[in-house]
Amino acid sequence: MKEWMPFVVAGLTTGAVYALAATGLVVTYTTSGVFNFAHGAVGLVAAVVFYVLRVEVGVPTFVAAAVGIFGVAPVLGIAIDRLFLGRLDRAGPAAQVVVPLGLLVALQGGVTAWFGAASRPVAPVFSTGTFGVAGTRIGWDQVGVVALSSVAAGALGIFFRCSDLGLRMRAVVDDRELTVLAGIRARRVTSAAWVIGSAFAGLSAILLVPFVGLDAAILTLLVVQAFGGAVVGRLTSIPLAFAGAMAIGLGASFATRLVIGHPGLAGLPTSLPFIVLFAVLVLSPRDSFGVLGRSGDPGRRSVRIPRLSPGGTVVLLGAALVLPLFVHGGRLLVATAFLAYVLLFVSLGLLVGLSRQLSLCHAVFLALGATLLAHLVDAGLPFPLALLLGGLAVVPLGVAIALPAVRLSGLFLALATFGFGILAQSLLFGTSLGFGATGTVSLARPRILGVSFAGDRAYYFLVLAVVAAGVTAVEVVARTRLGRLLRALADSPVAVESLGVNPVASRVLVFCLTAFLGAVSGGLLATLYRSVNTTSFDFSASLLWVTVLVTAGSATIGGQIVAAALLALPAWFTASYLSEYQALAFGVAAILLAQSRNGLVGLWRRPDFRRLAAEGRVRLARSPGHDRLPPSPEMASPGVGA
Amino acid sequence: MKALELDGVHAGYGRTRVLRGVDLAVPEGATVALLGANGAGKTTLLRAAAGLLPVSAGTVRLAGRTAPAGADARARAGLCLVPEGRGVFPRLTVEDNVALFAGGRRRREAAFDRVAAVFPVLGQRRRQVAGTMSGGQQQMLAFSRALCTDAAVVLADELSFGLAPIVLDELFEAVAGLRRDGRSVLVVEQFVDRVLGLADWIYVLHQGTVTFVGEPAQLTDGSVFERYLGSGRQ
Repeated sequence: MKEWMPFVVAGLTTGAVYALAATGLVVTYTTSGVFNFAHGAVGLVAAVVFYVLRVEVGVPTFVAAAVGIFGVAPVLGIAIDRLFLGRLDRAGPAAQVVVPLGLLVALQGGVTAWFGAASRPVAPVFSTGTFGVAGTRIGWDQVGVVALSSVAAGALGIFFRCSDLGLRMRAVVDDRELTVLAGIRARRVTSAAWVIGSAFAGLSAILLVPFVGLDAAILTLLVVQAFGGAVVGRLTSIPLAFAGAMAIGLGASFATRLVIGHPGLAGLPTSLPFIVLFAVLVLSPRDSFGVLGRSGDPGRRSVRIPRLSPGGTVVLLGAALVLPLFVHGGRLLVATAFLAYVLLFVSLGLLVGLSRQLSLCHAVFLALGATLLAHLVDAGLPFPLALLLGGLAVVPLGVAIALPAVRLSGLFLALATFGFGILAQSLLFGTSLGFGATGTVSLARPRILGVSFAGDRAYYFLVLAVVAAGVTAVEVVARTRLGRLLRALADSPVAVESLGVNPVASRVLVFCLTAFLGAVSGGLLATLYRSVNTTSFDFSASLLWVTVLVTAGSATIGGQIVAAALLALPAWFTASYLSEYQALAFGVAAILLAQSRNGLVGLWRRPDFRRLAAEGRVRLARSPGHDRLPPSPEMASPGVGA
Repeated sequence: MKALELDGVHAGYGRTRVLRGVDLAVPEGATVALLGANGAGKTTLLRAAAGLLPVSAGTVRLAGRTAPAGADARARAGLCLVPEGRGVFPRLTVEDNVALFAGGRRRREAAFDRVAAVFPVLGQRRRQVAGTMSGGQQQMLAFSRALCTDAAVVLADELSFGLAPIVLDELFEAVAGLRRDGRSVLVVEQFVDRVLGLADWIYVLHQGTVTFVGEPAQLTDGSVFERYLGSGRQ
């Protein structure tokens, strides 16, 4: 028993930090209906300001923390609320996820560009002294974190129970329109909630940095662990979210103790929050997550899939075929990568564009596709067969995600895939099927039927052939029954079910296909660079790709090609500033374009996009079909009804 | 003096036009009943008057002045809409609902006394979560919104919605009470006979325009029902 006590103390400490973050997340989600994926990034910015003031300016710790918590974070909260949430009113569910996601990518990218990606140690906020209780050493800093977290949560509870503003927040959660009818300025109430929620994000991040250091990726991710707690509270209950986050902190700490001596399970403690996140979402009864109000009618955003014209296809293919004549050296590698990116975005577009399901774990498919290809080639299989089998071996993972996808939609699918992606990364990447203990896998360029593809130019044509085949397959799928079903499911799952069609099969199929194609593109990319490591395709890549694809236009092959070009751009110009600011730029662009019909391509194809924007402002409760019907005489004439 | 005036109001949802030039006036202290078939635009008219729905043409005036934009501003200007369905905060207690309707916890006690005087049953359920009460009690609480404020104009959308006739007596008595207090009331109702005894003026709405304005007595012979509401007299 006694040997467990230090783990209880450590678990309570991290649990307290997660609980603060989860609390803030629930406050903002319930009052505004928008789930703030950038919650951790808001905390990150507050922590960076805290660090700069404290270390570089020399302001007293207490003042620096106050500026971060009560100044920077709330201002960010108000900015998010005022700049983005008004635009999200009645937007489709995809935009509701893409905008906060773009914000996450932009804030994290901005901080990294400005501050560097390296982690910086942070001196403790509280005393590092310890005291003994029943033979267990407890740090004053741990006591401080738990105490502060409990006080903050308690104060929030009293605020909700005993103040007018708190009551109004609860009212907005319950029924926004009714609050407005009571003469309450609901916008101000929502802004106040974002101030509180963001302050909690700042507080949790500043409490966390002395323990883990100031590191953009880790901090974003660690506060993201609060998602697990928030989901336990069904995203709406603060006490449950608080308790859930506490339990996750304790559980992770116990797991740390349990896995001592089992190196294969080393990833378990850190991935526990994501196991909880994924398990709760998948195992909860259907409809136990009520979608909060703001979502509009996604059917109105549907994009007609244009046929890839024969002329356009010939021109594109011709350009791709003659490109190696003009491009050499490093740029030929970039051009090859661009082709593989096309396949990557085509596979992602199947989900994001065609069936409008946001998947935030695409990088897992690429990473495992690459490592499986390497292992299969090592085992003596010929390259084409290894590429095929590697892709097929990833398909079960696609099925695993399709499981929640059948039951969850919009935000909750995004959350589940997000959890799944980080889970797979920390549990599978280290195994012998993944990158193994070294974290790196190397691959040789293949020799097929006696023809060597070792040269960059030869390999370019190999990739071109594979990508062309993959794109053709997807274009065929999009035009046949499966494609129609997926588009119909995106519009109205209920309508599809009422036709007697079981949506499960098509949902599972599309995830299998996307996993397979993703894995193939991962294998092609890894072979291009002759090696691949754990950071090549990590979870932040999944997020970046979604923002890039939404920026370019997710629904059409044109948009997917543009997305690939955008992703390849920094390497083409070998400009480091481009890649530094790439994440920031795509994050911002995704926020701006999340609600356009088809990203940049959609704007390009419609010169009259101002008219479109005007239409977009009057989004309706009814389907467009109703608008064009004249009022039915039977329904409206006197004599019926009354 | 008109407490509420709609002057050539057009409104709708997107390209669907529902109201096509509605003129309507609620004189100060009067009760006006708005009748019409399903889909005639009654609820849309109330929502446009309350500021929940922007009007594409025409004006809404409160006490002779152009009503401010936005439903919250209009509520503060003395207009109170009791919406269709159960207009309560289901997860809050009765007293929290009353506090919100009254505009703050400071005014809660006075407002609660007024509510309990009209609906004694709510007085006994002060700490009950609103969503757990019966439909009739929830509707009483929803209507209490009108009692909690001094709003000069009260709009009530289908108070009888989904309720047993026996529950309605108390609600219609409360509407009559508003009239005795000198408030101006606009009610939308399906139970035509009950409103006829209550209203000073009747408006009939048909396909988004007012097709009949008159006193209740003009309706008693039934011909208006035949012409405007069909024979489904209830």
